[in-house]
Amino acid sequence: MTSLLAAAPAAEIAQASGGVLGLSWLMIALPLAGAAILLVGGRRTNSFGHLLGTAMSLASFVVAVLAFFELLGRTAEQRRVGVELFDFIPAGQLDVKMGLLIDPLSISFALLITGVGSLIHIYSIGYMSHDPDRRRFFSYLNLFVAAMLLLVLADNYVGLYIGWEGVGLASYLLIGFWQFKPSAAVAAKKAFIVNRVGDFGLAIGIFTLFATFGTVAYGPIFEHADKASTGILTAVGLLLLLGACGKSAQLPLQSWLLDAMEGPTPVSALIHAATMVTAGVYLITRSNPIFDGAPTAQLAVAIVGAATLLAGAIIGCAKDDIKKALAGSTMSQIGYMMLAAGLGPAGYAIAIAHLITHGFFKAGMFLGAGSVMHAMNDDVNMRKYGGLRKVMPITFITFGLGYLAIIGFPGFAGYFTKDLIIEAAFGQEGVRGYLLGGAALLGAAITAFYMSRLMFMTFFGEKRWDKDAHPHESPPVMTWPLILLAIGSVGGGAFLVLGDRFIHFLEPVVGKPENHHGFNPVAPVGLITLVLVAAGVALAWVMYGRRPVPVEAPRGSFLTVFARRDLYGDAINESLLMRPGQWLTRFAVFFDNRGVDGLVNGLAAGVGGTSGRLRRLQTGFARSYALSMFFGAAIVAGALLLVGNL
Amino acid sequence: MTTHYLVLSALLFSIGAIGVLIRRNAIVVFMCVELMLNAANLALVAFARMHGNLDGQIIAFFVMVVAAAEVVVGLAIIVTIFRTRRSASVDDVNLLKY
Amino acid sequence: MSTLLAAPPGTIPAPTIEYTQLAPMMLVFGAAIVGVLVEAFAPRHLRSAVHVPLTLLSLAGAFALTILLAVDGTRNVAAMGAVAVDGPSLFIHGTILVLAFVSVLLFNERLQFVSQAASVPGSTEEEDSLEEGAVQTEVYPLALFAIGGMLLFSAANDLLAMFVGLEVMSLPLYLLCGLARRRRLLSQEAAVKYFLLGAFSSAFFLYGMALIYGFAGSVDLAKINDALGSASGRDTLLYVGAALLGVGLLFKIGAAPFQAWKPDVYQGAPTPITALMASGTLVAAFGAVLRVFWVALGNLDWDWRPVMWGVAILTMVVGAILAITQTDIKRMLAYSSIAHAGFLLTGVIATGGPAQNEEALSGILFYLVAYGFTTVGAFAVVTMVRDAGGEAGHLSRWAGLGKRSPLLAGVFAFFLLAFAGIPLTSGFFGKYAVFAAAVSGGATPLVIVGVVSSAIAAFFYVRVIVLMFFSDPAPDGPTVDVSSMGTAAVVAVAAAATVVLGVLPQPVLDLADAAAHSLFVR
Repeated sequence: MTSLLAAAPAAEIAQASGGVLGLSWLMIALPLAGAAILLVGGRRTNSFGHLLGTAMSLASFVVAVLAFFELLGRTAEQRRVGVELFDFIPAGQLDVKMGLLIDPLSISFALLITGVGSLIHIYSIGYMSHDPDRRRFFSYLNLFVAAMLLLVLADNYVGLYIGWEGVGLASYLLIGFWQFKPSAAVAAKKAFIVNRVGDFGLAIGIFTLFATFGTVAYGPIFEHADKASTGILTAVGLLLLLGACGKSAQLPLQSWLLDAMEGPTPVSALIHAATMVTAGVYLITRSNPIFDGAPTAQLAVAIVGAATLLAGAIIGCAKDDIKKALAGSTMSQIGYMMLAAGLGPAGYAIAIAHLITHGFFKAGMFLGAGSVMHAMNDDVNMRKYGGLRKVMPITFITFGLGYLAIIGFPGFAGYFTKDLIIEAAFGQEGVRGYLLGGAALLGAAITAFYMSRLMFMTFFGEKRWDKDAHPHESPPVMTWPLILLAIGSVGGGAFLVLGDRFIHFLEPVVGKPENHHGFNPVAPVGLITLVLVAAGVALAWVMYGRRPVPVEAPRGSFLTVFARRDLYGDAINESLLMRPGQWLTRFAVFFDNRGVDGLVNGLAAGVGGTSGRLRRLQTGFARSYALSMFFGAAIVAGALLLVGNL
Repeated sequence: MTTHYLVLSALLFSIGAIGVLIRRNAIVVFMCVELMLNAANLALVAFARMHGNLDGQIIAFFVMVVAAAEVVVGLAIIVTIFRTRRSASVDDVNLLKY
Repeated sequence: MSTLLAAPPGTIPAPTIEYTQLAPMMLVFGAAIVGVLVEAFAPRHLRSAVHVPLTLLSLAGAFALTILLAVDGTRNVAAMGAVAVDGPSLFIHGTILVLAFVSVLLFNERLQFVSQAASVPGSTEEEDSLEEGAVQTEVYPLALFAIGGMLLFSAANDLLAMFVGLEVMSLPLYLLCGLARRRRLLSQEAAVKYFLLGAFSSAFFLYGMALIYGFAGSVDLAKINDALGSASGRDTLLYVGAALLGVGLLFKIGAAPFQAWKPDVYQGAPTPITALMASGTLVAAFGAVLRVFWVALGNLDWDWRPVMWGVAILTMVVGAILAITQTDIKRMLAYSSIAHAGFLLTGVIATGGPAQNEEALSGILFYLVAYGFTTVGAFAVVTMVRDAGGEAGHLSRWAGLGKRSPLLAGVFAFFLLAFAGIPLTSGFFGKYAVFAAAVSGGATPLVIVGVVSSAIAAFFYVRVIVLMFFSDPAPDGPTVDVSSMGTAAVVAVAAAATVVLGVLPQPVLDLADAAAHSLFVR
């Protein structure tokens, strides 16, 4: 495994000399400037704020595309380009030089972030047109894009961490964008706090790296990763995994993502589906030399991924809220990516490929859901939808294409990338391969079920609309992004996977996967997958397509309730973390009040009391002063005599 | 020979110092301080004799002059406070304390 | 007997006096005598107009002469070995003269000094004199005598000259302490206490001098040091004499257990006099302490150092702890002054080789300048915060001053931070210089005590700042009197000095280094 790997990432990082690559910092600077102008400019920029924000995002996309083509123009070995920016933290041993690393991995992310991001910016112009705070919304979106680009483009862990916290901040601001809704405010806080747990792990991981390697830059760390002990690498790997779990809503830090749907739908599409939640996958893929040296941590990644892909899929089955169903799906799909990333060199490229196709189809579906909600007076309950395919044809078609992509209908994007993950999971040795592969396979079936359920409930069947609902198709500014994303959902998978195009492209970063024979449409695993998917769709049709859907949700079996309650994730958090946490806090406060403060106050009181008593010696009688002088003189003389005669 | 003078001088100094500590009348206290100065003078003169140089005797003259100046200042202060308080007791002046 | 008169009568050689080298002192004493003549002959209404320029000009002239002497570079013992003219003494003279100059600027005989010292408080006599507008202008010549005494005290090279300097410095101060215009009972009480205890301590000093003379056969500092080398079997004389000498000096700097007078006297005395005592007297007394313990008893340092350790620790702790519960601003500053005397003593202890002595001496000199300016500034602010009964001394009256007069309260807060030794104030570098010298002199435990005391002391400085800025002002609170140009100028100069010495201490540090370079002449 290591021998295969050693060849590729050890390639020297070339320095950018002019050209677009030298200007790649513009990618980050442009949206950052946009955010700054909109935030500082305030109300004066209301009239053009949304246009400026979109323009900045588009400009960033253009830079990314130009950089991408310049990168393509180089030979594979020279596709890792460093861009030195400035000396960020020159403090003794810790010398962080801020720079960017443009390589196939980061440019893929940059294209996804700016491309999908720009489409969502455009969509938001329409979606948020009635919101009085549209300018603020766009400033946060720009801030998010800038932070996310810093996260993926930085050439060191500190830069990554800054971007990591930046997207966390933007996510917090956007989830709570409608602050007047208490649920939104609470959801924002929850997302922030749960993420802190993960960020804590990431920070400790980075400290450990610095302590071990004496630097935080990727280049030297990855070059010397094989020299560090396995124990250290495992510890770092697990800490990084904790960070990834927080940001990517993986078990056990998944609980915030469902609540995060309180934010405006474009936010859900951009941040909580296409980009930010995939940061964990990026972190693990980027740190591949560390994980390759720590098989235990790698296995942990795969297990977390497999568990989450099932949990997310089960949650998705029971949700009547269209966005929450999609959020469960997002969890599940990211679980697939984590699983793939946990498979080592065999899976990194596939994980990223799935990440990109997922970015397209999930963003498309979220935006489609937004379009539906827009038509249904912001109602998110699917039990009140039905039969929408006739009134919203464009939304229906684009959403349908995304649906086909996610369930893995042959020829569509998900078909290629998800099948590869399932195959790779089965490719693991022994029982491990069957367990991981089985989980992935089962997940595919459940995915087919819940996504079909969502389709049937929303677009088919009879109308169950509220009386005052007058659904209509959305304006072109919203439908065009849907169409463009649908194109990606259809062709993205084939484009990336056929001929191993993407795997070769990523090779300089993540190495060459072993035992990879290209995409095989008639592999036994693939055929079984197709059968299971078909079964899932059929079951959904039986339950939701053929029969009328009740407007009031039935009580359902314990399994349904279990899934509706997010697998009791909040309850577990409450009893395992929150309650003990509160006890701990109470104890700490008690200890602080009685112990620490007691000591400090006691000391102060002691000094004060001493002072109060001593000042009584200052009686005001000159004779007592003279007496103290007299004794003082006697003591001084006696002491001097004593010392002198020693 | 010198020792006798020194013992006398030390006795005088001690009487003066104890007088300062136990007497209440400011004038008496001040006179006790003068007694201490004169004890020092006696010691100086005795040492001058012992060492066989004139320094001690000369110093004694200086001390007398200084003591005279001190008397002027001291009596001025004590008389002022006596006029104010109708009392020369040093224990009565204890407004400033703690 | 035959050796008693070494030289036959009539052949006593005439003493030589180096008038140029003594010129600063001569100028101050001369001006003081002229001031007495002015009191005697000038008409009452003209006296003030003559005294103020006379005093200030003589101090400025003496300062200029000191600078000339320093530039001239001659370092020797003048007046038949009675007065040393060397780097430290010139530096200390310059410091005393500048601090005395700014303290005299604070003098305002109509506001702070009694109209007629001889009148009984509350009597018709006093009312008459107040109506008449009488003023006690003797404060100027008295202050000049005291300042002259400080110069002599700090530069004396034999114990007799030191004793005379001590008395010439102290006697006028005893009188000045009793001349406050308001709260005359307190002022007179301060004078009585200061006088009685001061005289008591002088007696100790004098007796110590007699014993040392008995041991060494001379009162010349260098000769005493020489005699230490030749063991003469009269050690008891030496040790008791050194102890009594030390008591007299430690009393003047206010070291524990000889500190008791300081709070009472500082509180009762007129504030400009307190400023003069807290700055000038302290500087002069430290000059004398250094001379006695480093020059005369330099070879005895193994013996006096342990005792001095105890005194320094006690002084720092007592000063810092007792300051906490004080409710009067001047009393609090007095305890602060005690604590600072303790910090300075850690520098006195830090003797060793010549390089070590130089470092310690330079640190002490810098500390004296820094502390002197800050303390004069702080007392100047105290004179400005007034209510119907004169200065508003009680701390509770200072509550909310920051809202009433943010600038003055801010400057005062800055002085307090300098006392606490916060970086970017002069106090920080002062403490740093002295403590660093003490550490390299092997007195690390002492420095730890010093740092802990500083921390305790910081508490009460900050408490006053909190009181000024975070309490609501009382409706009938004191007003800030900014009518006196002189006082405002003093506050400004002191604040500027505190800032400059805190930000750019290097020139003064260099000066102190240069002054300490040759150490004391012997």
